[in-house]
Amino acid sequence: MRQLKRIATRFAAGLGVLWGAATLSFVALHVTAGDAALATVAGDGANPTQAVLERVRADYGLDQPLWQQYLGYLGRLLQGDLGESYQQRVPVASAIGEQLGETVQLALSAALVAVVLAVGTAVLTARRRPWIRSAASGTELVLTSFPTFVLGLVLLIVFSFPAGWFPVSGNDGVSALVLPTFTLALPIAATLSQVLRTELEEVLEQPFILTARSRGMRDAAVRLRHALRHALIQIVTMSGFVIGGLLGGAVITETLFVRRGVGQLMLTATTTKDIPLVLGVVLFAAAVYVVVNLVVDIVYGLIDPRVVTA
Amino acid sequence: MRFLLSTRLLAASVAIGALAACGSGGGINPASADASSRTAGAVLNGAGAPVDGGILNLSMSADPLCLDPHAISSDVEQIFGRILTDNLIYLDTEGNPGPWLAEKWEISADGKVYTFHLRQGVTFSDGAVFDAEAVVANFEHMLDPDTRSPLAGPYIAPYESSRIVDPYTLEVTLKQPYTPFLDVLAQGWLGLLSPKAIKESTPAQLCEKPVGSGPFVLTGYTKTQGATFTKRAGYDWGPPQLGYSGAAHLDGINVSWVGQDAVRFNSLVSNQYQATGYVPAQNASAVKTNPNLVYSNVNRIGLPYTIEFNTSRAPFDDLAIRQAFVSAVDREALVKTVGFGERQLATSFVDRVTKYYDPEVKLRGHDLKQANELLDKAGWTGRDAEGYRTKDGKTLLVQWPVAQTATISPIFDLVQAQVKAAGIKVNIELLPSAQLTTRRYNGDYDLSAGVWHTNTPDVLYIKYATFSIPNEKRLGQNTSRISDAQLDGWLEEARRTGDKAKLTELYGNAQQRLAELVPGFPVYDNSVLWAFSAKLHDVVVDTSHGTPYFAYSWLEK
Repeated sequence: MRQLKRIATRFAAGLGVLWGAATLSFVALHVTAGDAALATVAGDGANPTQAVLERVRADYGLDQPLWQQYLGYLGRLLQGDLGESYQQRVPVASAIGEQLGETVQLALSAALVAVVLAVGTAVLTARRRPWIRSAASGTELVLTSFPTFVLGLVLLIVFSFPAGWFPVSGNDGVSALVLPTFTLALPIAATLSQVLRTELEEVLEQPFILTARSRGMRDAAVRLRHALRHALIQIVTMSGFVIGGLLGGAVITETLFVRRGVGQLMLTATTTKDIPLVLGVVLFAAAVYVVVNLVVDIVYGLIDPRVVTA
Repeated sequence: MRFLLSTRLLAASVAIGALAACGSGGGINPASADASSRTAGAVLNGAGAPVDGGILNLSMSADPLCLDPHAISSDVEQIFGRILTDNLIYLDTEGNPGPWLAEKWEISADGKVYTFHLRQGVTFSDGAVFDAEAVVANFEHMLDPDTRSPLAGPYIAPYESSRIVDPYTLEVTLKQPYTPFLDVLAQGWLGLLSPKAIKESTPAQLCEKPVGSGPFVLTGYTKTQGATFTKRAGYDWGPPQLGYSGAAHLDGINVSWVGQDAVRFNSLVSNQYQATGYVPAQNASAVKTNPNLVYSNVNRIGLPYTIEFNTSRAPFDDLAIRQAFVSAVDREALVKTVGFGERQLATSFVDRVTKYYDPEVKLRGHDLKQANELLDKAGWTGRDAEGYRTKDGKTLLVQWPVAQTATISPIFDLVQAQVKAAGIKVNIELLPSAQLTTRRYNGDYDLSAGVWHTNTPDVLYIKYATFSIPNEKRLGQNTSRISDAQLDGWLEEARRTGDKAKLTELYGNAQQRLAELVPGFPVYDNSVLWAFSAKLHDVVVDTSHGTPYFAYSWLEK
């Protein structure tokens, strides 16, 4: 019962987050300079007539007062209508839906690679000789502080341009997924592995590890069976960070590798002030956060009832 | 923080792609700048006997997000139009209107009525017949506000009505004489669509699936990713001047959008694509020295890359300040730096390949001493702490809002540094494209820069007529906001006259007058730089915009 109430509260909070995200983005988009109608039909190479511009304003209600536009937007949102993209002239939901699969594919493969790399590095380097630790954490520091854009270019320069081992761009097949996956995964893996190593090192000093070792358990087994299990909770805790890194990184990675996806969509929409599309992507990203956090909450509650506080 | 920073970088690079699509290109190599290397209508890599089959993989810089030629202004349409649609007119190698789907035409003495005699036996790929009614449906579609036409509609703005004389004879009446009419009908944006598709689709649906009568049919379109075109069986109505007939040799063309310049170039070298547009000028020499690649660099008709002054407000409402600014700029140095030897210095307000280009026009040269004298005379004699000129305690400061991109054109910085020597302070503001567009239309800037390509010298009317100044009624392209009665008179008269001697005089006068008025200063003649695999043969250079035309190209096995 208490569990249910907690979930219900969290769910309500999630809706609040969505409403806040929608409102903030709406306000931000409208207060920043730039006329959406002009941006829609009067770009650099365009010479539209006033009749066209007026039609666009009327079609999108851009001639109404802001509060009216806002209420209208919220009203449509409640009916599940995200509106129509100004630039693409298709419903926002289908514009996102069309790109979603590619981003999910990239995000999942990056998440997998990041976790495997992080766990592997942390397990292999925790409480090792100082130079191994320094080398590992040095590399991690470089990877986390490298802009994703630069990292991707480095990967391209090393693995794609000279030898042509991987395609430079596009969405065709698994080989086209390799470089973008690593571009997206490496910085996340580096951060995760730093956190995991610290955690592992703490756990490895615990008395129960000593007990395990004194029973004659091998080092590898101690690390994998005992220490890692404790440290992995950190990954669950950091799922917010991971999701954030994946969503944010996808924007950059997709652009660099010219991959179709929500990231590219967001970028184009932002520069052209395609308000409904930007709002749609923001809401989508917020919804992903809310759902993930809700799931993490529930999982926590199941693993360890002591965390239930709400 | 890292995320924010990189996103900004990236936003920038996407904007580059978008800009590139709107008309920037490579340049022309002065060494090979003779007519033979860049003649519109020329056939590139013509050796060998054509073989049928194969798919041409083509990479372009940006998705126009809509493939209805009438509904977009993207430069990509110059290629797509020639893949998917046919036009009434095809320009000949001299730039004069020649037949295509219109076999011949008569123009009434008052220049207002055009009678087109149309080709018979042409069909659209959905089975609709090409006839007079189809042409009318197209004109109406271009002018319909629902189409939101940024180019095609405005190009035929003087259109008034049509009368179908018989199924293959169409009489078009214009509101006023408009001699560029035939020229603009040759542009890719005015390619003809199936009247059936126009009638049965919403504008948004037509964006996704336009239907033409061209050598290829659109068979797939994935936004921001690519489009696939398949050979149209039975096609036999290409422009007669090309000297080819029949259907395409290629089985199809796959177009991919690859926004990053470096990525696009390298994926061409690695043979992922057999042709790519908008090769960066810095890669041109690599293309030329690569035996597996063919290089094409064709000047475009229209306004050169020009930096414009906003003449409607201080300080550039003062001719002396405009003259001083130009004198302070070393245009040759700019062209050398940004062109990597691939661009030609502009010499007039239309580029060299434009009809009625006047080689006698004299633009101001680099003369720092004169710049300083002009500014002294205009009263900007004080100096502030940083060494910039002041007058009545105000610094000589000009605002230059430019599009935010990852690799900002070095031109902005170079100009800024050059005019600093004369004591002029240039403030470069990096803005997202939506903001930049708004600032341009509101007249809130001192400098702006860009190109405008059309296939007639009427580009001068589009850029410099008083009519074209953006206002409440229309969003014109006169970004210098220059207004000169004499210039207007010549440009308007040129729109009404068909007499070649008269046109030479009028456009000559207009170019000379612009050199006196200094609404801005042309920097280089823009050209379109393409690279393609040496295995791709018989690429025709389109006479309207200098871009490749693949209808009769073939791939070596």
